[in-house]
Amino acid sequence: MRVEYINPFVEAAYNVIQEVLQSDIVRKDLYLKKTSHPVLGVAAMVGLAGDVEGRVLIDMSQETALHIASTMNNEELTEMDELAKATIMEMANMITAQAVTKLFDLGFKFDLTPPSLITGSNMQVSNANEVEALIVPLETPQGLVEINVAVRERM
Amino acid sequence: MNQLTDEKLKDNSSFVKVDFSMVTFTLAGKDYGIDIMKVKEISKASTFTFVPNAPPFVKGVYNLRGDIISVIDLRVFFNLQVLDNTNTESENMIILRLQDHTIAVIVDSIDNVVGISTANVQPPHPLFGDINIKYINGIAENNGHLYVILDVERIFGTGEAAEAEVSAESGTGRRPPSAQAPVPGAGNAAAAPGKTAEESPEEELDLTFIEETLVTFASFYPSPVNQEWIRNRFSSWKAKRGENVQLANKEDAEAFLSSFYSPFTGTFWNNDFADKIASFINKDSKGNFFVWNPGCANGYETYSAACMIKKYFPAVNLKIIAHDNDLIKISMAPGLAVSKPGEGLIYEGFLAESTGGYQFKKEIKDSILFEYHDVTHNYSLPKLDMVVMRDTVSFLPSDKQKYIFQVLDEYLKPGGLLILGANEKPLEPERWETVENAGVTAYKKK
Repeated sequence: MRVEYINPFVEAAYNVIQEVLQSDIVRKDLYLKKTSHPVLGVAAMVGLAGDVEGRVLIDMSQETALHIASTMNNEELTEMDELAKATIMEMANMITAQAVTKLFDLGFKFDLTPPSLITGSNMQVSNANEVEALIVPLETPQGLVEINVAVRERM
Repeated sequence: MNQLTDEKLKDNSSFVKVDFSMVTFTLAGKDYGIDIMKVKEISKASTFTFVPNAPPFVKGVYNLRGDIISVIDLRVFFNLQVLDNTNTESENMIILRLQDHTIAVIVDSIDNVVGISTANVQPPHPLFGDINIKYINGIAENNGHLYVILDVERIFGTGEAAEAEVSAESGTGRRPPSAQAPVPGAGNAAAAPGKTAEESPEEELDLTFIEETLVTFASFYPSPVNQEWIRNRFSSWKAKRGENVQLANKEDAEAFLSSFYSPFTGTFWNNDFADKIASFINKDSKGNFFVWNPGCANGYETYSAACMIKKYFPAVNLKIIAHDNDLIKISMAPGLAVSKPGEGLIYEGFLAESTGGYQFKKEIKDSILFEYHDVTHNYSLPKLDMVVMRDTVSFLPSDKQKYIFQVLDEYLKPGGLLILGANEKPLEPERWETVENAGVTAYKKK
């Protein structure tokens, strides 16, 4: 994980989540994971291509996802319906887009894919190109959200 | 008459079946071919627009009648020798039309179009050296020339064929951990002292205890990498401390290790030291030169190595991959500033003045890629020419030490150079050739 990429993702995740939830969030220590690892329950995925290749995963439990979607929509949602899913995807899109904008200012150019949402229990994400993932854990009043960034340089 | 027809038929037997035309060209004196259906046109050009942060084989971009296309130097891409081109001559380009994009490749010279029969294309032999076998469609003979037919779709394509290839490679290229061969001679650190029978049991016990406390207080892991040093150090330590040999706290452990650290660990190298390291590098190094620097911390040694190679081997395409899992330290590394233009230090002449001190010149910075990485995770490295990890391995638990040497086994080129700390030895020493220059030691992979 190139050092220059780390800060933009951390800042973007922090800013966007704080803004959409309108509450204080706590950033915990960053760490690295092998890419084959379990997902918490609801994962929004945005692909990156360009100078680097990889993906960003916004990962949280179903409960957290519902709380966040409820807060963002200002209404109580009780199941993962279309609206809840679209809300989580939009948040993923905002975070990734802001990070990519910051990176563009630093001179790195990326393209994004539209977000896709994966829900279910007992899932694992693996990458064929065996790249490790940077995890940015954010503790929100709605629950734990993990920003999981796995990108690598094109060699 | 009948005979003539027969002969004609025989002569043309291959001609009749021509179903594959290829554009032929040379790279470093050897003949290659590309399927003509992939070739859009042939062109000459001399000025390309440089693209920052691009891999070394990307020559830049080129404006082809309004279409911006990227230009790849095939010779650099395949690690072949690049003929000295003084830039007065324009380069020969083959412009390829691939499934989803157009790209130009630079070659030495373009010959002509050759028609062959696909039936005569031989599959590539697995022993082919210059170009990785998966990029080759096959070999064809024509008029006494052997042509290597390149599969450009697979080399430059981004389509499914290329993707499948990559995943297949990563699937088979790596052995699952359970199938990895045990590394002989890299036994458990705690068991290692038992091997020497000469020392009395009491001394053994003291040594074992010291080894255990080094792990606790200094996260220093005794292993065959540093075993020789520990034994010597133990003798001198005992002579100095008498009865009180045990390491009671962090300070004791640091005192014990004080003579372990190699000269210039975690700091800039001086010219003398860099000279010696440079003397180990193959004088004929050309083209791409990949260096891996795990445990780079603040990047002092990484910059030193970069300056050293730029100074002695200005022609090589240098790329250093520096890894560390200390986020704070490595975050500082890309913008490292030094206060003065160091007399006698290797970076002299590679600095540019900036606000609040000196920074490294762009050519040095561009050659280094700092990555936040955990050494025990998976790697995706190029084939390496040199590895700098001084006083790094000893601070990893023994299973991670073994893993690092497995990574070296996989990625370091034969003859590649390994620089360890002054008091460290590689695991499996029989697989390494020791080279020495006035007190500085390095290892070459056999």
